Amino acid sequence: MDLDVHLAAIGAGDTQAFARWVAGAEPSVRASLARFAAQVDVEVVVQEALLRAWQFAPRVQCDGKPNCLLRFSVRAARNLAIDEVRHRRREVLRVPIDEELPVAPVEPDPLLRRAVEECRKQLPENPSRALLARVEAQGLESDAQIAERLGMKLNTLLKNFGRARQFLLECLERRGVHLSGELSA
Amino acid sequence: MKPADRQVLIERVVSAHRALDPLERLKSEPAFHDLDEAGRREAYELALTTRRLEAALDEAGLSSTGWAVLKRITER
Repeated sequence: MDLDVHLAAIGAGDTQAFARWVAGAEPSVRASLARFAAQVDVEVVVQEALLRAWQFAPRVQCDGKPNCLLRFSVRAARNLAIDEVRHRRREVLRVPIDEELPVAPVEPDPLLRRAVEECRKQLPENPSRALLARVEAQGLESDAQIAERLGMKLNTLLKNFGRARQFLLECLERRGVHLSGELSA
Repeated sequence: MKPADRQVLIERVVSAHRALDPLERLKSEPAFHDLDEAGRREAYELALTTRRLEAALDEAGLSSTGWAVLKRITER
């Protein structure tokens, strides 16, 4: 799968094309930061790297290989993470500059989508409310704001969210979908 | 730290919401700095799974991270 099919449209400012690119690219960008997970807040780095993909798409020089913009984002993410570590520790991280950075775009998976939706319908009420509220918040509301909106205490919201995720993963496992293993492989 | 408190910190780090500083740069989630290395790695692994589930629940196939980024570019 080559996500560069969206590159020209993204470069022209098409946010819908960028959304399709992000859907396929984000998992690779996040996965590329595993080695930094104990040192930097990976969520910040992922969001900044995806934002840079949008900003630099019109100027990215492609080398003829697939997933040019994704590879640019993975490199940007790694550099951002290294900068953050250097900033906090004031030391030089030795990472080979020419190191090959693997990318694996994610394709839409209708079977997974249907399985997750069917499992979601079986969730107990409060974990279901917590899960849907966080999904609907789209990363724009803090957990405190979500908790207030739902009339839950913050810790209750977070515990319910964790229960919802665990319930979904166990439900998916029973259906033969091993999401955790697939992601960490 | 009690296990329940640790789990709450981890869930806060798993969230895609991050506050902006005055220069509109994302700030690290404060709970990240309250966790030890094992807790941070656990939060990272849970975020991988959580984003995949969020994307599967979303019509456009986007996780909360994806939506947060899109919101930033459309509000500029």
